[in-house]
Amino acid sequence: MSTVELAAEWAEVVQSSSEKMLRRLAGEYHEDEWGFDEEFAEAAFPIFNFLYRSWWRVQVEGIQNVPGHGRALLVANHAGSVFPFDATMIGAAIQKEHPLPRWSRALVLNWAFDLPFFSYFIRRIGGVAANPANLSRLLEQDQPVMVFPEGVKGFGKQFSERYRLQRFGRGGFVEVALETGSPIIPVAVVGSEEIYPKLGESSVLARLSGAPYVPITPTFPWLGPLGLLPLPSRWRIEFLEPIDLSGYGPGASQDRSLVFDLSEQVRETIQEALYKGLVERGPAYF
Amino acid sequence: MPREGRVVITGVATHWGTELAKSLERHPGVGQVIGIDSSPPEADLGRTEFVEADIRNPVISRLLPTLEPDVVVHCGILLYPEEGRPSRALHDINVIGTLQLLAACEKVDGLRALVVRGSAAIYGGSPSAPSFFTEDMARQYPLNTRFQRDIGELEGYFDNFARRHPAITCCMLRFQTEIGPGLENPLIRYLSLPVVPTQMGWDPRLQFLHATDATGALAAATLNPVRGAVNVAPDGAISLSRLLRLSGKPAVGIPPGISGLLIKRLGGMLGSADRYQDGQLLMKYGRGCDNRRLREEVGYELAFDAEGAARDFASKKSGVNRLFPAPHPGSPVRSVD
Repeated sequence: MSTVELAAEWAEVVQSSSEKMLRRLAGEYHEDEWGFDEEFAEAAFPIFNFLYRSWWRVQVEGIQNVPGHGRALLVANHAGSVFPFDATMIGAAIQKEHPLPRWSRALVLNWAFDLPFFSYFIRRIGGVAANPANLSRLLEQDQPVMVFPEGVKGFGKQFSERYRLQRFGRGGFVEVALETGSPIIPVAVVGSEEIYPKLGESSVLARLSGAPYVPITPTFPWLGPLGLLPLPSRWRIEFLEPIDLSGYGPGASQDRSLVFDLSEQVRETIQEALYKGLVERGPAYF
Repeated sequence: MPREGRVVITGVATHWGTELAKSLERHPGVGQVIGIDSSPPEADLGRTEFVEADIRNPVISRLLPTLEPDVVVHCGILLYPEEGRPSRALHDINVIGTLQLLAACEKVDGLRALVVRGSAAIYGGSPSAPSFFTEDMARQYPLNTRFQRDIGELEGYFDNFARRHPAITCCMLRFQTEIGPGLENPLIRYLSLPVVPTQMGWDPRLQFLHATDATGALAAATLNPVRGAVNVAPDGAISLSRLLRLSGKPAVGIPPGISGLLIKRLGGMLGSADRYQDGQLLMKYGRGCDNRRLREEVGYELAFDAEGAARDFASKKSGVNRLFPAPHPGSPVRSVD
């Protein structure tokens, strides 16, 4: 390619991106009712794409189990202790590997929305405060939604506890799935539980910052911001067979024992897939 | 509403009371409009009859039955503490006033409906809040500010009244914050500052209700009241940063250490009480309400969504000084005909 052509191409790139920036500065962009900003999510995507492809070398199985349209409730194991990257990687997997890519939403621990800067960053890339009202409204709008029923118990677990699923809350996600007739797609994420090996926690720092806990890893907080760099583990995300709930009647969500049974069924499915996936993936880091 | 219905509007001298009176005057189905307030409205009202009375005074219990209303609409609830009208006085007007009015309504024979123009402040503000509050979610989060507690208290009395009088259709309208080119209030003054100070690190998700819809929904609920609470909120939501960009206003993030002091000064400047907590909370966490009851049961069709209201406000504001030209001058805006 000649220098002139290259310069012309660059000029075009600079022009289109500066036009885009001016347009955004004038407020001319779209935000949906949840505060999700597709253009912003697209702009942030290269970071996650880098992590996905080069850093964690994500391998995906069973992407055909994610419906290409309509509602879907993706239920996954939760880990990360410092920053839970699992939601972003599941989202990236659907964007990159699915024949009908689309953005998915994630229910995010409420505490994250009490953090300055972070709260609106999460909102713009598709995070929503975790509560049943938000979940059922998103599903009624035929969105794919990720939930992590382990919650804080999951992503705050010790390194020695990795890949051992914690209790699945009170099964609220099953209730909403039954009410909205959404299929549940269990997702087993291998790799996410090794990015920040949590060895202990500091109750002093937690009290000072108001966080549910502050993890201590081999690098955090010793290396300061550098300690926030996740370890380059090898990832494997498996989307499992959807569990169809449309056969249950409308009153099924009131049936406590059914809700607990289904919740336990999902949990066991993910747990089994995690053990199998760990073997399939092989060594964690190299 | 059957023809020849008599509507009594309390707080008719407030902006929304006057707007409702004007709107009902034009409606052929409304027989007579009577306005009550402690001072006459500034605007000239046509066929509305004005009665000077203070609803905080027990005399209202003797006055109201003589007016023989079919529907009572209470517009006397004030949102903003202002210079010379601190939140303590607001409590008196909002809670005691409503209480006296409810007592008076008990004495009215043949009252069919009671409509109260309340506020969505009852939902509180919290980072963990649902993105869209439905009517059954009131008081789920602690009511932190004086105004929120006042609204909570007032709705308590209202619910009690509704339970004891099943024959009367009691409708509580929970309004989101109003915005509009013609409005004058501390929030509008805040958004009209040449440089808008925001809380650093926060970009709330907001729903501003366009003034057209605020009046329209109030009139619609007066003509077709439904039982219980109804959210009056637009579709969608808009973040503060985008709203400011649309109006071409530069925003400056104020770090938390000094924002307290600045907000105190700013509150005084904008003509609200020096620390307007409701505004501060709203500008940090935002608030969204579900409007399905309004659209489906009251049957009001909103003219503006949250973005449309912001665009309308931005474009009609006098003395707009945009920092950047709008690249798409003809971009579609849902407009009212």
